[in-house]
Amino acid sequence: MNAAVDIHPLALLAGYVMLLIPLGIIYWYRVPMLGQTLMSVLRMTLQLIFVGLYLQVVFRLNHFGLNILWLAVMITVADLSILRGCQLRLGRIAGWIFLALLAGTAVPLLVFVGVILRRPEILDARFVIPIGGMILGNCLRADIVGIRTFYQSIRTGQKAYELSLSQGATVTEAVQPHLRETLYQSLTPTVAMMANVGIVALPGMMTGVILGGNDPLTAIGYQIAIMLSIFTGTSITVILAILFSARSAFSAYGILRPEIFK
Amino acid sequence: MDSLIDREKEMPAVEISELTLRFGEQVVFDRFSITLLKGQKVLIAGRSGSGKSSLLRSLLGFIVPQQGDVKIEGVLLDGKTIWHLRKRMGYIAQEPQLGEGIVRELLQRPFSWKANHSLRYDAEQTAQLCRQFYLPESLLNKKIHELSGGEKQRVALIAAILLQRPIYLLDEATSALDADSKKAVLDYFAGRTDLTILMVSHDISLSSIAERVVQLPDILAGGRL
Repeated sequence: MNAAVDIHPLALLAGYVMLLIPLGIIYWYRVPMLGQTLMSVLRMTLQLIFVGLYLQVVFRLNHFGLNILWLAVMITVADLSILRGCQLRLGRIAGWIFLALLAGTAVPLLVFVGVILRRPEILDARFVIPIGGMILGNCLRADIVGIRTFYQSIRTGQKAYELSLSQGATVTEAVQPHLRETLYQSLTPTVAMMANVGIVALPGMMTGVILGGNDPLTAIGYQIAIMLSIFTGTSITVILAILFSARSAFSAYGILRPEIFK
Repeated sequence: MDSLIDREKEMPAVEISELTLRFGEQVVFDRFSITLLKGQKVLIAGRSGSGKSSLLRSLLGFIVPQQGDVKIEGVLLDGKTIWHLRKRMGYIAQEPQLGEGIVRELLQRPFSWKANHSLRYDAEQTAQLCRQFYLPESLLNKKIHELSGGEKQRVALIAAILLQRPIYLLDEATSALDADSKKAVLDYFAGRTDLTILMVSHDISLSSIAERVVQLPDILAGGRL
């Protein structure tokens, strides 16, 4: 098979022209998101141009340190997005969430590249950046859902939580039902995705491998490996993010600090 | 009289000294003090919203008072001792929230916790308490969310009793019960002379089992005691 067909910048303009259709629908039906849509398209374009140029340099140099730095930047941005997205005041545990993201990304990434792909150059840019990015993106979503579900669930079930404490439970014992609910909520999307992958839509990595000129059977191997990596990564990062953040979210009496809620 | 003198000699079970509880600008308790001797039953009566529940919650460390001390069996309550002291108290909250699952599992769950390892879940005692409080045994297999308010209250009472604590904190513990069930619960606690019981309620009829009644003035919607 051939390599991916290149897209000329001018040809890409056709895509922007196509945008007139959704913009027309939004305008015609007065959906209050015209400005927001234009801003999002602009941001997407600029961000991707910037990332594309930067990655070209990163890929060309393919320097161990630079690849690690890029991964660290991605994790830091994800960390800040989690703190903003879960609507809690957990600023002081940003470092712990960084570690939870790092573990959730690094463990499946190492298995994917080192064991499944059997590449000795584990930190090669063309593996670390796209595969790490896909795993990290899913860890980010899972952490936001997980952290928010965990603390909101304790807050809404405060009396049940206090009943457990009054019966002698430690914090770890008393939060078990909330932890179960949290893991269920944050892992369900990936479980559902695994159950439907390939039927509802061709997933991103498989599409990428096919567009890259490989046959579908190779693409399937990549897709299965990435799905398993994402599921492993999300479960690691969610449980660690909860365990780490809980260290400062509860008082010495085992009570959830009200000041963590915005 | 002799027994009273004997009791006076015993170590107090609950001591609240100069307790101040404040929520924002609202002073709920201002330098409130009370002592319960071992085996004593005390009712703190007052209107709804007078802060009675907050008082009990402060004994369990759920609310930290701005001022004052709480001692349980002579041990000062703080962030370290609370984990031991909670094992000495049974608590029935107003409108108890029991969580999810089956009633029997709810009753068994605390026995799997480290703090209660020396205790064993007693199925026979559970069945006997069900009968005593007019609950069918089949209720043990029901889901918690299927229970009525009165059933939940009695299940919460059974859960607390099974844990064999020496001190019980009852927050409007009979408010959702019919006359017969309420009498059964009060008779049970009246017969347990070994237990120290601090009840808070707006229902003055609970004074029938109390040796002492402390009537909170109406202040407590925002004033001082």
